[in-house]
Amino acid sequence: MMRVSLGIMTSRRLQIGAIATLLVLLGMIGSAIPLQATSKNRINVTIEGAGVSLDATLYLPVKTPAPAVLLAHGFGGSKDSVVTEAKTLQSRGFVVLAWTARGFGNSTGTISMNSPDGEVADVSKLIDYLSTRSEVIRDSLHDPRVGITGGSYGGALSLLAAGYDARIDAVAADITWNDLQGSLFPQSAIQVKEPGPFKRVWTGTFFSIGALGISKKSPQTSSLLCGRFSSEWCSAYQASVAASAPTTDISKLMRASSPSSIASRIQAPTLLMQGESDSLFPLSESELTATEIRQSHPADPLAMVWHGGGHDGGQNESKRLNNLVGDWFDIYLKGEKKIFPVFQVTQSAAAISSQDSAPEPRIFTSSILPMDATFTPLAIESGKGILLAPAGAAPAAVSALPGFGSALSLAGGFGAFLPGQSAFFDSLPLTSPIVIVGSSHVRVKVTSTAKDATLFFSLVVRTASGRTVQPSGLVAPVRITHIPVNGVAFDVTLPSIVANAAAGDRIAVGVSSTDLGYSMPNDGRVYTVEILSPGVEVPTLPLRSLPGGSSIYLWPLIAVVVIALSVFWVLLRRPPRHDPYIEQVVGSEKVPFVAVRNLTKTYADGYQAVKDLSFSVERGQIVGLLGPNGAGKTTTLRMMMGLIFPSTGDIEIDGVPIYPGSPALAELGSFVEGPGFLPHLSGRDNLDLYWRATGRSGDAEIEDALDISGLGSAINKKVRSYSQGMRQRLAIAQAMLGKPDLLVLDEPTNGLDPTQIKAMRDVLRDYAASGRTVLVSSHLLAEVEQTCSHVVVMHRGELIAYGTIEEILNRTGKRAQHLEDIFMELVGNDTEIGL
Amino acid sequence: MVYKAKSTLPFRVELIRQIRRKRTLVAYSFIIALPLLVASAVKFGSSGSSSDRFGSGGLDLIGLATHSAANFTATMFYFATGFVLITVVAIFCGDTVASEASWSTLRYLLAAPVPRTRLLRQKIAVGLTLSLGAIVLLPITSYLIGGIAFGFGGLQTPLGTTFNATIGIERLAIMTAFLALSLLFCAGIAFLMSVTTDAPLGAVGAAVGVVIVSNILNAISALGSLRQWLPTHYAYAWLDALTTNIDWTSMVRGASYSLIAFAVCLAGAVVKFGRKDITS
Repeated sequence: MMRVSLGIMTSRRLQIGAIATLLVLLGMIGSAIPLQATSKNRINVTIEGAGVSLDATLYLPVKTPAPAVLLAHGFGGSKDSVVTEAKTLQSRGFVVLAWTARGFGNSTGTISMNSPDGEVADVSKLIDYLSTRSEVIRDSLHDPRVGITGGSYGGALSLLAAGYDARIDAVAADITWNDLQGSLFPQSAIQVKEPGPFKRVWTGTFFSIGALGISKKSPQTSSLLCGRFSSEWCSAYQASVAASAPTTDISKLMRASSPSSIASRIQAPTLLMQGESDSLFPLSESELTATEIRQSHPADPLAMVWHGGGHDGGQNESKRLNNLVGDWFDIYLKGEKKIFPVFQVTQSAAAISSQDSAPEPRIFTSSILPMDATFTPLAIESGKGILLAPAGAAPAAVSALPGFGSALSLAGGFGAFLPGQSAFFDSLPLTSPIVIVGSSHVRVKVTSTAKDATLFFSLVVRTASGRTVQPSGLVAPVRITHIPVNGVAFDVTLPSIVANAAAGDRIAVGVSSTDLGYSMPNDGRVYTVEILSPGVEVPTLPLRSLPGGSSIYLWPLIAVVVIALSVFWVLLRRPPRHDPYIEQVVGSEKVPFVAVRNLTKTYADGYQAVKDLSFSVERGQIVGLLGPNGAGKTTTLRMMMGLIFPSTGDIEIDGVPIYPGSPALAELGSFVEGPGFLPHLSGRDNLDLYWRATGRSGDAEIEDALDISGLGSAINKKVRSYSQGMRQRLAIAQAMLGKPDLLVLDEPTNGLDPTQIKAMRDVLRDYAASGRTVLVSSHLLAEVEQTCSHVVVMHRGELIAYGTIEEILNRTGKRAQHLEDIFMELVGNDTEIGL
Repeated sequence: MVYKAKSTLPFRVELIRQIRRKRTLVAYSFIIALPLLVASAVKFGSSGSSSDRFGSGGLDLIGLATHSAANFTATMFYFATGFVLITVVAIFCGDTVASEASWSTLRYLLAAPVPRTRLLRQKIAVGLTLSLGAIVLLPITSYLIGGIAFGFGGLQTPLGTTFNATIGIERLAIMTAFLALSLLFCAGIAFLMSVTTDAPLGAVGAAVGVVIVSNILNAISALGSLRQWLPTHYAYAWLDALTTNIDWTSMVRGASYSLIAFAVCLAGAVVKFGRKDITS
């Protein structure tokens, strides 16, 4: 569809035009002969219309036979201005026939504004042509399966053709008129038969496009005036403009070219699209057409789309609209099942863009058409507005103008409401937000110092912050004649709009005595305007945002399901927990305090850190765990702390198995591979918070622990400032918090001076003397010899010796002097890390 | 001596451990300083009339920032959604376990013993509490600072409507709630990374990185509707709370998506951590 029908001649188009002219000449030999296949799927043809030759292009889809779509262009355009639309429909599997209407481009003939025996008759010829094409599905011999679509001029033609030719199976018309006279001489006063004021700027723009086409070819002055218009239309138009009122001739012509004359005969499923930014053919045109079609064929499928575009510009939704047209034809030409809302409306500023927080449009749907809207009366402040209409009708208000839309009135400098020439009648502030979709009604009383009145009504939203918004710059013109001295009361249909207002905003009826876009009386006069009860009645529809509201529950539902699955997954994938060790030796009464059984740890890379390690520790023992680097000491201790999962085997403390979080760990105090503290807290706070985190009740004996650490006043300084030795001592103190039954210390004397080492030795002896157990890993053999009662020697992950110091020293039969001798003998010089 | 797994690492203890960290102080100070900085820049900036002091002065949120406290707060949300809040949440939830690993405190907590699932539960509870604190602090300070600088007026939206102060605060509360929910995904990713790596910065960086990549992809319109599956696609859905009739679709989707991602990440973290050999 052509969005704005102001066609611009590009050099490329002129080139194509030249080639096409040649083709037209060749085409005279015989109609409907493919002249040049520009490609396999795109064929240029010349088709004989009703007395004219039409320049056309046939687009073929990949799969044929297929239903056909006739694609009409906008005023001033040609078949080349609808290439995008044609390709969209072609790619969706339709045979598309785009043609240049008579009087435009390379088609012959003159413009007769979609007259029944002109352009409309041409369409029937095009359908005849389609019925001869083997690529098109046929319903019967001369009846192809065919839809028709177009925008503006092409939209009206689509509706008219559907009324005149019953072979058309589906219609999609965009931004077009219902009644040409009603659009060009709009009269918004209800039940007033006289035409309204002449929409002179838009009409002039519209007709001048048709007059441009021929100027080069026939430079006679007379044809400059009429361009390619038919002489009938040209002279009627000239006369009407001169009179600022429709002549009988042009009324008749316009009637014949209006879908309203034939809408009652449209049986094909009809999609009516109309733009919200359209002061030429406003939204109400689609409402009128829809009403007429429905009255005669209430069961026929009918849908309506109000989009953000239109002849004034607005939002470009052409991509979406092309897809909607495709959907419509999918349903009614191909018989596909698709959901198509009865009514779709774009609210141009309904949401805020996440890209730049500027207003952006949002699409809403409704199951009822705007004509069936519910009307809500809003009380309007009483009072009388006095408006001056200046002599010569200047200055005049600017609401919307061709090519600019309502931009000029928003830009400042111009105004939609001029002081002295306008009045507002406000509602009370709204208590709840409202979305107005369609035409509001108001009853007014008007007096005039002349016998007649020309007024421009609009519905505006006045925000609490003082802004006045006239939706799309649309006005409803009214022209009343023979007004008695005491005035006349009548109903006004306000412009059909889509607007939303917040709580606190006011809805107002704006009245202006001038509007630059229209013909106005030339003499000066003064009007008074009053709003009569019940005030303004505004239409509202139940709207749902697109995609439909039902899916709003879908995502939370998915969330609930995923959360449930996640919980299930967590439960399913709980870490392996060894069953409590079942006493293997039945009847054995003595359970060792610490039992390490067949412990093996193989890492993911295959490295075996611990191999089949078994030993036991009794209460009151100080056990030294010896071994060179890489012997698996630390891995063993980590497994004892529940940090590393054994590959096989298990560890028990007091008969309770060890696993992460095992309650047996509460009996274990540990210091492994260096201290760990929160550097931003003091030593005291660290111990205090650690104790509170252990979940153990009872006395932590923190003061005792602090004594052991020997930190003195430094205990209140941040750990960050501590030396390695201070941290070491604090960590051992932390391990002793609450006096656990088993104390596991990894290299506790690292970084301690000889005095501290001596003190540490005493601390450990005292600790064991109270019946508690200490497990010390160390590589300081002399230290172990002095402190420990028992020794476990590991090498390459395996246990190589286990017993009391005495047993180990006497291992070889003769007593060794030092542990070191035994150790070297056991381990040898093989101290490299095992692989 | 009685050990109760349920009283290990109480919320209060973990909160004290975290709240006394410098990064907590820095993050909260930043949240307070940001509106102060923006407000004074606008208020005392040298450029011309009040309308062009800030942004386009027109129809977007930033242009309306100086309208009132509520507008200023909404603008601060607009500034903070993309990066500031993401980073803060990533720090609070991403650094929490990894930093314990790097301090070597993790093994002592686990050997205390704090059961692993409980440790994660307490950690994420405190991480989310601190995150929520920052998310709530931002509008409160912004509103107060904005109110002092520009007055406590109603909330004017880019769509031209103005809500009174009461409804304005209500809408800001909705935005705050949505932001809190929509940032859960970031908390989830950061937390999952936190149990995966021992490097605190790595965990935070990974979460922020995911967001940045998602934002970049979301800006590529060629991806079309695929973008709705990006975690940050609905990050700005709170803007819908500025419309007269709130369309909840995007916010519900965004929040649901965030919850889904959070649940999956949290479950992943629990499963992973539960079976992990702690070698830090």
